[in-house]
Parts: sequence; C-alpha cells; structure tokens
Amino acid sequence: MEISEVIKFLAKTTPFNHLSQAELAQLSKHISVYYYQAQDKVPTNGRRLLIVRTGVFALYSDQQQLLAKLQEGDFYGYQLLLTDLNDDDLLQCDEDGLVYWLAGDMFHHLRHQFKNVDLFFQRLFSRRLHQYKEQQQNSRFTLKLLDVVHAHKIAISPEQTVQQAAQLMTEKRVSSLLVEDAEKLVGIITDRDLRSRVLAENLPATSLVSQIMTRQPHTIDKNAYLFEAVQLMSRFNIHHLPVTEHGVSFSMITATDIIRAQQDHPVYLIGEIHRQQTVDGLEQCSLHIHELVQTLGKQQVPANEAGHIMTTITDALTQRLIKLAILQLGEPPCVFSWLAFGSQARMDQSLNADQDNALLLEKEPKGEIEDYFSQLAEFVCQGLARCGIKLCPGNIMASNPELRLSLKGWSSRFARWINTPTPQALLNASIYFDLRVIEGSRGLFNALQQDILAKTANNDLFLLHLSKTAQERTAPLGFFKNFILEQDGKHKKGLDLKKRGISLITDLVRVYTLAAGISEVNTRQRLQALAAAHMMDSRDSQNLLDAFDVLAQLRWDKHLQELQQGHDVTNLLDPAVLSALQRHQLKDCFAVIHEAQAAMRYRFSREL
Amino acid sequence: MFDWLKLKKEPVHAVVQQFELVAWPSPDTPVSQCRFLVLDIETTGLDAKNDHIVSIGWLLIEHQEINLAQARHVLIKTPVSVGQSAVFHGLHDKDLSEAQELAEAITELLQQYAGAVFVAHHASIEQKFLTMACQRLYGRSPKFKFIDTMQLEWQRLLNQGKVIHQRDLRLPSCLNRHHLPQSQHHHALEDAFSCALLLLSQLKKSRDQQMTLGELQALSRG
Repeated sequence: MEISEVIKFLAKTTPFNHLSQAELAQLSKHISVYYYQAQDKVPTNGRRLLIVRTGVFALYSDQQQLLAKLQEGDFYGYQLLLTDLNDDDLLQCDEDGLVYWLAGDMFHHLRHQFKNVDLFFQRLFSRRLHQYKEQQQNSRFTLKLLDVVHAHKIAISPEQTVQQAAQLMTEKRVSSLLVEDAEKLVGIITDRDLRSRVLAENLPATSLVSQIMTRQPHTIDKNAYLFEAVQLMSRFNIHHLPVTEHGVSFSMITATDIIRAQQDHPVYLIGEIHRQQTVDGLEQCSLHIHELVQTLGKQQVPANEAGHIMTTITDALTQRLIKLAILQLGEPPCVFSWLAFGSQARMDQSLNADQDNALLLEKEPKGEIEDYFSQLAEFVCQGLARCGIKLCPGNIMASNPELRLSLKGWSSRFARWINTPTPQALLNASIYFDLRVIEGSRGLFNALQQDILAKTANNDLFLLHLSKTAQERTAPLGFFKNFILEQDGKHKKGLDLKKRGISLITDLVRVYTLAAGISEVNTRQRLQALAAAHMMDSRDSQNLLDAFDVLAQLRWDKHLQELQQGHDVTNLLDPAVLSALQRHQLKDCFAVIHEAQAAMRYRFSREL
Repeated sequence: MFDWLKLKKEPVHAVVQQFELVAWPSPDTPVSQCRFLVLDIETTGLDAKNDHIVSIGWLLIEHQEINLAQARHVLIKTPVSVGQSAVFHGLHDKDLSEAQELAEAITELLQQYAGAVFVAHHASIEQKFLTMACQRLYGRSPKFKFIDTMQLEWQRLLNQGKVIHQRDLRLPSCLNRHHLPQSQHHHALEDAFSCALLLLSQLKKSRDQQMTLGELQALSRG
C-alpha cells in the first residue's frame, strides 16, 4: 500500500515524473524514510540512492571543499551505485530534513527498465565529474549554435494582436516568437510576457504585439559557440535569444534548448561564475579552470577553440567582478566601458596570459568619478589576480590612472600615436589597437572604435610606421642551422613561439586590418574579413591562418604538458622535442610569415 | 491465505497468547534500536463500545527508518453503515465492499508485530478500539501499551515554556511545526505515515540523543 504524499513527491521529481502511478507505487515500496538533524553525518557508503525530500545537505570533498548543497529533489549515492567506486565525500545535514532511501536493487531495476532514468543518472554523474574530476567521455565542448538550432523561424508582426501571438505559439508549440517588421527583427515576445504584461495588467486580447514585446532583444550569430549564448543568458538573466545569420533573424534558442543540447560543458563553470556572490566564491570557481584545461586537452579541443573558451571564462570573471564591485560601491556615477586589450581582446588567450585592461568613461575622470572608478578598477584587477589572471607587469591595467580616460582622453591618446607615430612609441602601443568591450556600455566603446578606425584607415604615414614595427622581429628562417634561441629570465633557452611566431602574425594582420578599417579583433576573423574584403589575397590569408593555427596548437600542447607536469607555463620551445612532422610544419610556418612580412613591406612602403 | 479459517478452529485466544509471549523490549533499550509499529485507526465514531473500525493503517520503523515496504492499509467490513463518519475518513459504504473482516486484520497485526513498540497520535482512541476488538474476537485482549506522539509533543512544548492549545496538538499542526510534509488527514495509512515522521523528528529533537525506551515511555505518559 503506498503513501500518497510519497507518490506525489516522486511524481514531480525528475526522472521519476515519467513513471505511471502503478510504477511509482511499486517504486515507493522500496523506499525507507529517515529524518536527519543539522550536523548529522549521512552515511555515504550504503548502496542505495538518497533522495532529498526536505532540508538541506552539504556535500564536501575529502579535502573539505564544499561541492554542492543538496535540496529537495536532489540525489546522492548514484555515483557509488553506477561505478562501484566510493568517493571519500562527506555528506552532512545543514538544515533538518527528511530523506528517502531507495534500495540499490530497485535503482538498478529502474535504470534497466526505463532508459530515461538511466540516462538521467548517467548525465548527472558525468556533470558532477566535470565539476571536480578530469575523466570524461564523448562530451563536446565546442558545439556551435548552428549545431543545435535549426532554421525554424517563427515570427509575428508587431501590428498583430497578442491573441494572434498566443494562437501562433499554441499552434507551433513554442514558448516565444520573433517579432519582425518588414523582415527586420524588432523584438521578441514570450509566453511569460503574455502572462505578466497582458493578463496580469488586464490588457485586452486585441492589444498589439508592439505594446508588450521586448524591444531590441539581445541576439547571437548562428556561428557563435553555444557557451557564448549561455554567457549572454546568464549575464542578462534571459531565457530566449534570437539567433541571427548575417544580421537577419534565423531562429530562436531557449535556455531549455541549451540544457538539452549539452550536459557536460564549460558552460557549467561559466554559469557558476555568474552565480557567485563573493570574490572568495569566484576564486573557488577559478580553481576549476585548471581541471577544465586538462579536460579540454584530453578532448583534443583545437587550440583556437580552447583560447576562445579561456577568454570567455576571463570575460565572465571580469563581468562578475564588476557586478560585485558595483554591489559594494553603489551604482557608478557615469556610464563606462570596461576594455580588454591584447589576447583577451583577440579572444586567443593562452594559459600564461596576464591582465591587459582599461576603463573608458563617459565623463572626465575627476573628483568622485575618479574616486569611484579607481576603487572599482582596484577591486576588479585584484580580484582577477586572485582568480589566477596575473597582474600586468607593464601596468596596462584599469587600476593605473593613466588607463582610466574619457572618450576624449582615449581619442586624443590614440590620435597622438596615429598622427605622430614613432617606431618606439608604436612598439609599445600596438597592444592598444586590439581592443574589445567586456562590460558596460557598448555604445561608448563603439564610438571609440569607430574614431580609431576612421583615423587609421588609409593613413599612410601611420601604416608605414606600424608596418615597420611589425617587421622589427622576424621568424627564424635558418631553423636548424643557425637557430635563434632566446633566454628567459631563468636562463632557459629555446625558441619563443610567441615572439618569433604567433605575435608576428598578430602584428602583421593588425596592420592590414587597421588599414582597411575593419572592426574585427580576433586574428582568425580578421584574416577571413581581409580576404572577404579583398584587402588580402585569399591564398595568403589562408596560409597565414594555417600557420597561426599550427603555432597556436604547438604552444597550447606545450602549455598543457607543462601544466600536467606541474611546471611553469612558458612560450620557450626546445626544438629537440619536436617530431619530424612538427619541424617541417614549423619551417613552413616561418616561411609563410617571412613572405607575408615582405609583402607587407612592399605594400605599405610603396604607397608613400 | 486461508490462515484465518484455521484460526477459528483453534482456541480463540491463541493469537492473544502468542502476542503476549513476546515481551516488550526492556526499558533500557536505546530508542534508536527500537522496532516501532506506527498505527492509525479510522472509526465511525469515538465510542469504542458502539462505534466500529472502518480502516487501519500501519507502518514499521526500524533503525529509525520508516520502511515503506511494510506499509499496510486495510479497509474493514462494518456491520452497519459508515453513515456520517464518511465526512471525516472519506470512506463510503461502496468503498468498503472489498474490505476485509476485522478478525483478519487484527490477527495479522498481532501475529506480525508482537514485541514491537506501538505508536499512535492521540493513542487512547487506538488503544480503546484495539482492546475492544480483541475482547470481541478472542474473548480477552492483551494489554496494549502505546507511545503517544501527541503526549510527546505536549511535553516538548511544555518544556519550551509554550502556551499550548488543544488545536496545536492536532497532527497537521504538529507536522507544520516540525516542517514536515503534510499528508491527507483522516486516512489511516497517511496519518500513520505523518505520525511516524513526527516521531522521527521528535526523537531527533530530543536533547538526549541516547534516550531509552523507558524514558520515552515516561515522556509519553506525561
């Protein structure tokens, strides 16, 4: 005989919610109920499934690190049941509560009988593994939106009524609609809007969609990575995101789609970051980056995608720190944009990247404005340092007062570099020409970027000097014979993959991009944009792209290896460790760079 | 399954004798090791002499775990219409068509749970009806000893220096106070479950974690 309270609870608890009443009744016969009081330790070695009914239970690793808080409907014990391996976890009751213990035999019986129950616990298990263990299989870290969304555009006109919207949603069985005016996306409307903005406000069914839609929604390109969509959703607390193709709406993706699409992904780390309430919490989160990197390595995620993921995590940490700073300091006294330079801006961050950031302010940094942003910058930069993103030795950081400027201030600083260029000044300044907005006003940032591009495009004198600085260093051509080795601070010798390879391409591509007035920042995207705009021969562009990928991959693999062995991560490569194939590839890369530098010299000198 | 047919041929009080043969656990048994049988009886009224049992629900607590596999809910055939009492327990005459004989249910209870500590909320009702049922069925009733969760709750609140109203001691109010999930009230098994949850919570909340059965009995007597 079953207890209706138990059945009711099971019926609303995933994954048992799919079972019939009779199956639930059967299931409930294999349950026993226990009451825990705060501080009680819950035995973790029993071969049965714990289902939390009420109360809160804290799960700690054997290192006393808090892994999770289990609440109503959460599970424990499936790990041991699935793998037969016992974790030295500690489960302790935080708030008095009831647990249901499901006998292990019944657990296995359910898994065998119901595929979705099995799948659920398998996924639960792998996600948990992802939180603090490296081993993982078949996960895809680099899903793009186009892998999960289909061209399934369901749109309505702003002139139609909310009733028609509701009918269309019902007919198409969707929870949201794109609102399009003459093929142009003007808003979105969700079933929640119908509830809270129509019914709750007592608006008639004849109200127009335009009255209640969310205008100018955030959108995302279908070529973006799925985790970027999650990033956007977490940041702005939204659940529906229109997907665009060449700026035209293509489909809609919802939070549910994303959860369905991927169960084990760095997304969880990013989501965690956006949930943290303290810098301590962020620091704890950042400890997982190390494991994430290892997993990326195991998955053989290509270096460029790994760089993209690392950058997205730095972005998320930065955004969260800014939010926390604002919580502490109060609302900012004026509009601002938090800028990133260098590799974070280009989204090809490596494992030894340090901070390169700055603040762009709506108003002149004086008085209380200066006070406020000086505190905010200090908070964020120190916070990033605690999360493992080292302080910039060159002091290119927002905490440096010289890097907190108004639009006018930044504009005149760029004007000085651009209009009266000297090779030495440009050498130090080139990093500033790769910039991206991380948090704050996009409009303010766009104004600065457009201002810079307007000044650089077709500015022959500036481009001549910039191209000269980009040729200051060359690729080591006579690779095997007179191979140039550099020393780092600790007198280790090797080939600097960054200085003698990757940076050369980055620098060169920057010259072409600024000449063309192209706003892309990522080196690979810049190369593609240059070829598309016929500013660079498409074969040259492809060659450089390949060389860039090979070098970045070599560096990434090297960093992974050093990380695994517990060594410092450096860019110095010992040529002796290369395979024959890698040596050939490297030689080709250097040849490509050499040719490209020659072409650049020809192009930007001749035009004077 | 025809055990009850055989029983009629044997001396009526054999069941009672058997039940009485198994002693209660000694008073110094820690409550954490007691085997509790939590019981709820729904009736047509409050007078054990003239009213009838319509349903019995019970479940077993061992090692402080409620074992749902041993949960039972038995509908009892009544010699008269359930009449107005259906308002409370929701059991109408038509539901009782598949009911069991009272003898069957009581015999099962006594045979399987001899030696268990019986528990009920406001236990005097259960005690009276059970005793009366045994007297009618076997000619004599064992002396039933109950732990009463209502008494325990009254003691608990009294110790906290609270003013106690009768309504504060009703089962749903107790569940509320202990932040326990509410079940359907006045259903024998659901109420037995609620009472079991309440007992687990009360045992955990007692200041003395090493409490013995004797001490629990003392609290239960008030």
